[in-house]
Amino acid sequence: MKKLAVLAALALAVTACSGSNAGSGVKQADGKVTIRWATWGSAEDVAFYKEFNDAFMKKHPNIVLKMESVPEYGDYHPKLLTQLTSKTAPDVFFVGDDNIGKFVSAGVLQPLNDQLAGPDSKSKPEDFFEGVYGGAKKDGQIYGMPNDVNPEVLWYDKKALQAAGITEDPATLHAAGQWTMAKYLDMNAKLKSAGKAGSIFWNWYGSTYSVINGFGGKVWDGGRFVATTDPKSRQALETLAKGYADKTFLSADVLPSGNGASTQFVKHKVGFYAGGRWLVDTVKKGGDPASYDIVPFPSETGAPMSGAVAASYLSINKESKAPKEAFTFLTEFVSKEGQLVRLKGGGAVPSVKGAEQIVLDGYPAHAQTFLDVRDTGFANYAEEVSVPGLTASINEHLMKVWSGKVAFEQGMTELQQLVESKLG
Amino acid sequence: MAVLAKSRPRQAAPAPVSKIRHRDGWWAAFFLAPQVAGLFVFLIFPLGFAVALAFMKWDGLGDKSWVGFDNFTTMLADQDFGIAIWNTFKLALMTIPVGLGLALVIAVALNTVKGKGFYRVLYFLPVVTSSVAVALMWQVILASGDYGILNNTFLKWGITLPAWLEDPVWVQVAIAVVTIWSSLGLNVVIFLAGLQTIPPQLVEAARIDGASPVRIFRSVTLPLISPTIFFTLIVSLISSLQAFDQIYVLVDPQHNDGARTIVYQVYELGFKKFEFGLSSAAALILLVLTLVVTLVQFGAQKRFVHYDS
Repeated sequence: MKKLAVLAALALAVTACSGSNAGSGVKQADGKVTIRWATWGSAEDVAFYKEFNDAFMKKHPNIVLKMESVPEYGDYHPKLLTQLTSKTAPDVFFVGDDNIGKFVSAGVLQPLNDQLAGPDSKSKPEDFFEGVYGGAKKDGQIYGMPNDVNPEVLWYDKKALQAAGITEDPATLHAAGQWTMAKYLDMNAKLKSAGKAGSIFWNWYGSTYSVINGFGGKVWDGGRFVATTDPKSRQALETLAKGYADKTFLSADVLPSGNGASTQFVKHKVGFYAGGRWLVDTVKKGGDPASYDIVPFPSETGAPMSGAVAASYLSINKESKAPKEAFTFLTEFVSKEGQLVRLKGGGAVPSVKGAEQIVLDGYPAHAQTFLDVRDTGFANYAEEVSVPGLTASINEHLMKVWSGKVAFEQGMTELQQLVESKLG
Repeated sequence: MAVLAKSRPRQAAPAPVSKIRHRDGWWAAFFLAPQVAGLFVFLIFPLGFAVALAFMKWDGLGDKSWVGFDNFTTMLADQDFGIAIWNTFKLALMTIPVGLGLALVIAVALNTVKGKGFYRVLYFLPVVTSSVAVALMWQVILASGDYGILNNTFLKWGITLPAWLEDPVWVQVAIAVVTIWSSLGLNVVIFLAGLQTIPPQLVEAARIDGASPVRIFRSVTLPLISPTIFFTLIVSLISSLQAFDQIYVLVDPQHNDGARTIVYQVYELGFKKFEFGLSSAAALILLVLTLVVTLVQFGAQKRFVHYDS
């Protein structure tokens, strides 16, 4: 009896220490099912998500939504990974395009094809642009639906360009089929001569690979990583390295928080800023929105080319105890109606066909460019996303080259070795 | 007599000592069980798991595979880890002598003033302030160009100060200043407590013998608070080796090698790159380094720490 009491105390203590799903996915006594869902996002994003949640719960009184948001993208995936490992992950969650491949490979996401083909689905896989599935699709099976996308374009500051003596308008050049890499680099050089920075890039595949494509180079060819060996690709990377070294280009990642990329851009200290629709809010708050417009990345010949599209996905936890209710939430969240509610404040571009009107609200002047890049763009290369952590390793290594920690030639050799070692 | 004997209440025979001990033992086990469970769940299991992970390759979700000592050889050959170790020790060397010296001077000064409780609270405020709030406040003060309070003030006088948070050398000075500022109060309070244990008659005797205040400090005060100094030295060194949260908020060490510390490296490998094997190996290396440094301190204390009052 005494032994039993001691064991009970021990068990109670251990139970008290263990994790809990807080009733997630379990039918409560009142017949309601709680669905936990996780996302990252700013206060503005979260406000729109709350609006969506309220509307959803009104429509589905048997489902209670519990949103768990993390402000910083960088902090979100470590938390999610910990929850998945400890079996306390939410029923539905956002996954970034740089992490989706890893989660798919690990088998922690529920395959969605059957449910997407079923009568409860609000949208079909073909309602979304094929290019934005990226790593969320493996061997024909879909593991995450694109929430929304952010096509990578070049924002430009007309006042900064004018101050640097640049008279041509990039968007006009693009419309005339004359928006070439040579013209773009020439503008950057003029901006530099005028005491400004040419362009600001975030160190991610969207910017780097867009520049490589703009030089007519290739990143992957026949399953092989050729960014360091293809002459045009190497020329693109060398141009970037030299630009970072002489401050023609700035890396947004290393700019100080008080004087970051957005601050410099709205203060007319830089000509171009590579980004997505999320910059709308920044330039509007800057107080001079008329000075800004967008253009796709330039190509070698001036002809339109495929651009990078940042995507995030909504996935269902394979361990969810309420997969049906979780799917109800997922399909409504990514549906046209769901995206119209969530994206009315800006921030991103719909990933689903038929919701384009939300982007064409009159700002920026060439907002159609967002849709053009989305429709023909890509969410990283399949060869790259299939290897967990590869993109992050490439970015990290390239940052060493951009910051001058590693010489260009040595950096390229090491980058090739790094990719080959990861590919096995 | 026989009636009396019958009416006397019967006394129960005392339980054998071994039985009492046995019963008490079970009660002790019952009350200790939650603590033992906590120890296993929060200390022994994580420690054992971390040690095991250090010999594995694991991305946090997939299968784990044994890799022997590969993680350790990779970490010891890693340039960034070398920078992190060097930075961590440099930070300790910059903060501990200055921080403890300053705290001792302030404590000695406060020991004789009236209203020392007020000053003690004042100095202790940064200690009870959230380290994230402290880092954010210093970020505003130390930001570069005309955005930071410090640099902007000096700029008005025509003096250009360094980019404290971006320059890989000056960032270490900035971190050292913030670390000293935020830990000063704790050390002052500990030293004050130590000073108050010194018997006043010893100081009085030295004064009667004609010793100057400096001599009294050197020959009476310092030896008597040497155990306190040793304690703060150990605690400061261990916390220096584990420096992370304030630095992580103040600067992004990912893009500034000057701010890269061992614990940041452990965090980056585990939670940004999902290389849990390498991360655990780095953590174990830190554990060994901490043990070695602490043992060296314990060895050295025999020479300068006096426990007799």
